Amino acid sequence: MGCTWCEISQLESLELYFSIHYNIDRQLRSNFTFHHCFDQIPQMSTRWLPAAQLTASGRPVFILGEVESSLLSGVDIEPDDQYPNLSPLKSGILILTTHRLIWISDSSSAFAIPLSAVTHIFSPKKSIKAMFASPRIRIQVLVSPQNGCLDEKGSKSMVITIVVRGKTDPEAFLGKLWEAWRGRAWETLKEESSSSTSTDEGSSRSGIRTRSAVVGVAGILRKEQEMWESTDKSLQDAFQDLNALMDKAKEMVMLAEKMRQKLLSGPSTQGTGTNDEEIGSKQEMQDWMLSVGIASPVTKESAGALYHQQLSRQLADFVKIPLEKAGGMISLIDIYCVFNRARGTELISPEDLLQACSIWEKIDVPVMLRKFDSGVMVIQNKSYSDEEVLARINALVLKPDSLRSGISASDAAMALGIAPAMAKEHLLTAESKGLLCRDISPDGFRFYVNLFGEILTEDIYLVKDYGTYGTWISAVLASR
Amino acid sequence: MKRRPGIGGLQTAAAARNQYRILGENVAKIRTDLMKEQLATFRSQLEDFARKHKNDIRKNPTFRSQFHEMCAKVGVDPLASNKGFWAEMLGIGDFYYELGVQIVEICLATRPHNGGLINLQELCSLLGQKRKTAREAVSEDDCLRAISKLKVLGSGFEVISVGKKKLVRSVPTELNKDHNEILEVAQGQGYVTLEEVQRRLSWSAGRATDALETLLKASSCKSIGLFFFLFSSTEGLAMIDDGHSDGKRRYWFPCISSISSYVGS
Repeated sequence: MGCTWCEISQLESLELYFSIHYNIDRQLRSNFTFHHCFDQIPQMSTRWLPAAQLTASGRPVFILGEVESSLLSGVDIEPDDQYPNLSPLKSGILILTTHRLIWISDSSSAFAIPLSAVTHIFSPKKSIKAMFASPRIRIQVLVSPQNGCLDEKGSKSMVITIVVRGKTDPEAFLGKLWEAWRGRAWETLKEESSSSTSTDEGSSRSGIRTRSAVVGVAGILRKEQEMWESTDKSLQDAFQDLNALMDKAKEMVMLAEKMRQKLLSGPSTQGTGTNDEEIGSKQEMQDWMLSVGIASPVTKESAGALYHQQLSRQLADFVKIPLEKAGGMISLIDIYCVFNRARGTELISPEDLLQACSIWEKIDVPVMLRKFDSGVMVIQNKSYSDEEVLARINALVLKPDSLRSGISASDAAMALGIAPAMAKEHLLTAESKGLLCRDISPDGFRFYVNLFGEILTEDIYLVKDYGTYGTWISAVLASR
Repeated sequence: MKRRPGIGGLQTAAAARNQYRILGENVAKIRTDLMKEQLATFRSQLEDFARKHKNDIRKNPTFRSQFHEMCAKVGVDPLASNKGFWAEMLGIGDFYYELGVQIVEICLATRPHNGGLINLQELCSLLGQKRKTAREAVSEDDCLRAISKLKVLGSGFEVISVGKKKLVRSVPTELNKDHNEILEVAQGQGYVTLEEVQRRLSWSAGRATDALETLLKASSCKSIGLFFFLFSSTEGLAMIDDGHSDGKRRYWFPCISSISSYVGS
C-alpha cells in the first residue's frame, strides 16, 4: 500500500511525518491513514493531477455522457513556477472531451484535468518568440493551497501550460477547448438530475391543487390524455429542424427510453408475416447493440494523425466482448459489421479495419489477427494461442485410447470444441512442431504421439523409466 | 354506488367490477395504440433526419452520440445513404459500405437458422424490408458489389452458384460448427445419409448438402462398388458410397473412432 500522491510506501511516509513532528509509538502508527503531502516536506511530486483510468488497450475510460472531441500528440504539461516541487509531465497524448483534459503517457499512465477546475483559458501570446517556439496553451486551474495538487474546490489557483510539440493545429484545439469549457457538460448533468426531481414534485403538487376537484376514473383518464398530448407536442417541436432537435436531444433520449420500455413490456409486434424467431433474435441483437454502443468513436476529425493508432486501440477494447461470445475466435468480417454498428454513422472502411488490426502487432494488446491458408482472416485472443491448443492436443493424444488408435481430425474437433477444419490445422501444426506423427491408412488420417525422440538409435528396445514410450507400450499391451 | 345487502348487492358489485375491467381494457388498448402511433412518428422523423442532416449530425460529436442513442432505443437504423450517380458508377461514397454492414448483419441474424448459407434473393428481400424508407430498392447486383468490397477482409464471405441460384456463405469452413454436428450424427453408424441429417438436425436440404459436400472437399473419392478405396488424398473427412441397393448416397466417416463401427482393425 502506498500513498496515492507519491510512491513512498505508507510506513515510510508515516515515519517521515512522525519523525519530524511527533514521537508516537510504532503500534499506534498503523492505525493512521493519511497522505503526507499535507505537511511542508518538499518532495518532487508527479501526482499533482488526479489519475485517469485506462482500458487494457490504452484508451481512456469515459464517464457517462463524456464524448471525445479532439486529440493532440507530443504534449507536455508544465505546472506553474511557484510550485517547484511539482514535476512536469512530458511527451504524451492529450485528449479533450466534454468533461476533461486527459493526458496519456507512453508508459500507459494517465492523468486528467477536470474542466470544472478550470477557471480561465488564456488567449495565446502573440510574440516573435512564440512564433518559433512550440505553441503553448495556458489555463488557470484551482488547486489546494498546501501543495499545488489540483482540487476543484481549492482556494488558490495555478497556471498550467500545455506545450504542444507535435504537428497539430493548436488554434483549432483551443477553439474546441473553449467550446467544451463553455458547454459545462458536467454541470448540466447535475442540474438535470436535481431539476427533474423538482419538476416532478412541482407538477404533482400543482396538479393536486388545481385538479383537486376532478377525482376518480375521469381524473385518471384526463391525466392520461394530457400526458399523450404533451408528448405529441414535444415530438412536434423537437423535430421542427435540426437545431430544435439538438436542444431537445436529452429530452428525446429519455422519451425514446420510455417508449422502448413500454414496447418491451407491452404486447408484442405489429404482427408481420415473418418468423417470430427472427424478430426475437433481432430484438436481442438490438439490445446487445445498445449495451455496447460506442459513444466516442475515433474519427479522423477527432484524432487527426493518430487516427489509425487510436482506432486500433478502440477496436482492441471493443472486440473483447464479441470474442468471448464467439468462444475465442471470430471472423474479421463479422467484427467489421459489429464494430461499425456500434459506431453508428461513423463507418470505417474495410481497409481501415485491416490496417487497425495490423497495428496490433506493434502495440501491446491481448488480441491478434490470424490468417489461414484458405484466405480467411480471424481475430483471436492471444491467450487462445497455439501453445494452449498444443498443450490440449498433447493431453488428448496421451490418453490410453489415443495411444492405441491415435486421433483423427474429427476426434480432436469434438474434444476441443472447434470446427473440424480448424482441428486439422492444429494437428498439422502440432506435427510440424514434432509433437505428433501421422498415420495414413485406408481408414483415413490419424495422428499419434511422437515417440521417436525417446528411442535411442543404438538400442531401439530400451525403454526409459520416465517418458511416454513406457506408457505407450503398456497401453498397447493392455488392448490385447 | 350504493351497497345493497344480500345477493342483489353481490350481483351489483360483480357487475360494477366487470364494467371497470372492460373500461380498463379499453383504456389499455387505446394507450397501446396511441403509443404505437407516437413510436411510428418518432421513428419516421428520426429516419428523415438521419437522411437529410447526415453531415451535420456527424460534425457535432455530442449530438451525434445522443442521436445514435435515440435511434438505437427506438429501433431506427441510422445508415440511410442514397446511392447517387457517382456511387453507382465509381463505387465511391458510403452507400456500398453501409450496405455491406447491413448485409453482414442480416447474415449474422439468420445464421442460427440456416447455418450461414443464405439465398441471395432472400438476402435482398430482407434488406429491402430493413431499408423501407430508402428511396430506391436494392438490387441483387448492389448486394454483390457490396460483398465484393468486403473481400479485403479475407475470404470469409463467398458467393456460390448452384444452378441458377446464388447462395451467400458467411461462415468460413474453419469456423463452421455444422460439421461437428454431422460428425456427431455419424457416430451412431459410421455413416449418414442426406435425409438423416435433415431429419435429425432439422436443417434445410441446401444446408445439409453444402455441409456434406464441404466435408468431402478436395478428396477425389468416388468409390467403386463398396466403400474401401485407396485414394490417399487426405483432405476430406468423408467418403461417398453410392453402391447400396436403395440408391441413396451414404457418407462414411472412417475417422469416427467409435468402437462399434470400427471395421477391420
